[in-house]
Amino acid sequence: MIQVIDVTKRYGQHVAVDHVNFTVEKGEILGFLGPNGAGKTTTMNIITGYISATEGTVKVDGFDILEEPEEVKKRIGYMPEFPPLYMDMTVQEYLDFVSDIKKIDRATKKKSMEKIMDLVKIGHVRNRLIKNLSKGYKQRVGLAQALIGTPPVLILDEPTVGLDPKQIIEIRSLIKELGKEHTIILSSHILPEVSAICGRVIIINKGRIVASDTPENLSKRLSGTGRLSLRVAGPEKQVLKLIREIEGVKNAEAQGVKEPGTVDILVEAEKDIDVRRPLFYALSRAEYPILYMRSVDLTLEEIFLQVTTEEREVS
Amino acid sequence: MLAVFKRELKAYFASPTGYIFMGFFLLISGIFFALSNLLTASPNYLSVLSSITFVFLIVVPILTMRLMSEESRQKTDQLLLTSPLSVTGIVLGKYFAAVMVFLLTLLITCLYPIILSFFGTIAVWEIVGGYIGFFLLGAAFISIGLFISSLTDNQVIAAVVTFGALLFIWILDWIIGGIPTDRVSGIVFACALVVGVAALVYFTTRNIFVSAVIAVIGFGIVAGIYFANKYFFDGFIVRTLEWFSLLSRYETFMMGILSLSPIVYYITFSAVFLFLTVRVIEKRRWS
Repeated sequence: MIQVIDVTKRYGQHVAVDHVNFTVEKGEILGFLGPNGAGKTTTMNIITGYISATEGTVKVDGFDILEEPEEVKKRIGYMPEFPPLYMDMTVQEYLDFVSDIKKIDRATKKKSMEKIMDLVKIGHVRNRLIKNLSKGYKQRVGLAQALIGTPPVLILDEPTVGLDPKQIIEIRSLIKELGKEHTIILSSHILPEVSAICGRVIIINKGRIVASDTPENLSKRLSGTGRLSLRVAGPEKQVLKLIREIEGVKNAEAQGVKEPGTVDILVEAEKDIDVRRPLFYALSRAEYPILYMRSVDLTLEEIFLQVTTEEREVS
Repeated sequence: MLAVFKRELKAYFASPTGYIFMGFFLLISGIFFALSNLLTASPNYLSVLSSITFVFLIVVPILTMRLMSEESRQKTDQLLLTSPLSVTGIVLGKYFAAVMVFLLTLLITCLYPIILSFFGTIAVWEIVGGYIGFFLLGAAFISIGLFISSLTDNQVIAAVVTFGALLFIWILDWIIGGIPTDRVSGIVFACALVVGVAALVYFTTRNIFVSAVIAVIGFGIVAGIYFANKYFFDGFIVRTLEWFSLLSRYETFMMGILSLSPIVYYITFSAVFLFLTVRVIEKRRWS
C-alpha cells in the first residue's frame, strides 16, 4: 500500500532522514518509534506530500508522490502533531471546509460527516468554535479531519499526546477499530502505546531505521536468553543455591523481598533450554513453594534503549 | 479554490479584520467626499478617487497580513498542502477573497457618485473608468501584500513590510526624478542586476558553476547590447524603475481615459506576484 523508497531529507548540512526504506501492507498498523528529533515527523511529512524529499520517493497505492501528488493526497488522511485547525470556525464549519477541499461529493458529504462525528464523539460540540474546545476535543477534531473522505491510508503523528488517560484509552481503541478498514502509520515515543496498537514496529533513530519487526519478535530476538521471574517462599540463600545447581541455569539473582518470608528471584537460562519444570521439581522437593513464575521478555523500553545505543556505538 | 475562497471570505467577517478594513476605507473616502464634493459643491468625483489612493498604504496591509502568514503559524498550511488542492488554487482562492472584500467596499462607495447625480450631471463613464482603474490598482497592491505574507509566519512583520513596500511604490515616481540618466550609470546598474541574479541563483541552488555561467551570459548580453545599441543604456535605471510605477499608470484613468495598456499592466503585475507567491510556497517544501 505504501512504499517508502530510499527517502533522504537534508536541511543544509543536517541529515534529518537518511535513506529510509520500508513498505506497509494493506490493513497493517505500523508503529513509528523513536526519540524526539529522530525524523519521525519529517518522514510522515514526506509521505503526505507536505514537504519533499531531497532524494528518493514515496508510492501510495502505486501512485508516485512526485509524479501524481493529487492522486496520493486523495488517498491519505493526515493528522499532524499539532492538529491543523482554524480557530475561528465551528467544528461543523471546519469539517465542511475539509470535505470541500478534499473534493467530497456534495450528496454524500452530510452523511459521512455525521458518521465521522459519531465515531470520534464530537457531535455534541459541533456548533462550538474550535478555539473554545479543550485539548482533547481539538485532538479529536484533528482526527475527524483525517478521516473525512475515508481515505485508505491514515497517518497519525503522536495522536495521543496531551490527552488524559481516559481519552488516551479511547483514542487507542478507536485507532484499533479504524485499523480494520484503513492502513495506518502511527508515530509515538510512548512505547506501551505502540506495542498495544501496532502489528509492526519500526524504530528510527537519527534519521535511520534501526529495527523493524513485530513487538513480540523484537522482544524475543533481542533478549537472547530466556529469563524468568519467580517468587519463592523460603530463605534466600538456600533457594538461590538450589536454583543455581539446576542444569541450564546461567545465573540467578535475588531481587529483594516484596512479601515477608519470600524472595523474588530473576533466573537467566541458557538459550533454548526450558528450565521451568526442573525448577518446579527442585523447589517442591525442598518444600519451598513457588508463588508465581513468569517469563520476562525485554520490554519495548529496553529494546528501544538497546537498539538506539547500539546505533550510537556503530556511528 | 472555491472552498478556500469561501473560507477566507467568511474569516474576514468572523474576525474584526474585514470590518476594520471596510470601516477605515469608508471613513476616509467619506471624509474626502464630504470635503471635496459636498461642501464645495463640486461634481468632480474622480479627484476624490485619486486623492484617497493613499488609503491603500494603511488598509492593504490589514487585508493581506493574515492571508498566508497565519496559515504557517497555526500549521493549517499542513491541511491545505496535504489535501488534493494545487498550491495555485490555494493562492488564487485567498487572493480573490481579499479582492472580493475590497470590491464590496468599493461598491458601497458607489453611493457617493449616485448622491452627486441628484444635484447635477456627472460624467458617468469617466467615473466608471476611474473605478476600474482604482480597483485594478488596489488588486495589484493586494497581490504584493499576499506575496509578502507568504514570506513570514508573523502577521506584524508581514503588515510592516507590506506597508514599506507600498510606501516605496508610492514615492517611486519622486525617486525616479532624482536618478541619474547617463550611459555609465545605466551600464553599472545593468551589471549590478546581472550580479544580483547570479547571487540569487547561488543562494537558492548553492551551485557555483551554474551561477558563474549565468553571470558570464548576463555580462555577455550587457556587452552585446552595448555594441549593438549604445543609446539603450541612456536612462536605463529610470526605465527599469518605471516598470514598478503603479501610480503613473493610474493617472490615465484619472484623466478619464480608459485604455487597454494600463489594464493589461495591472493584471500582469498581479499575476507576477501571485506566481511568485506560489513559488515561495513550493520552494519552502523543497528546502
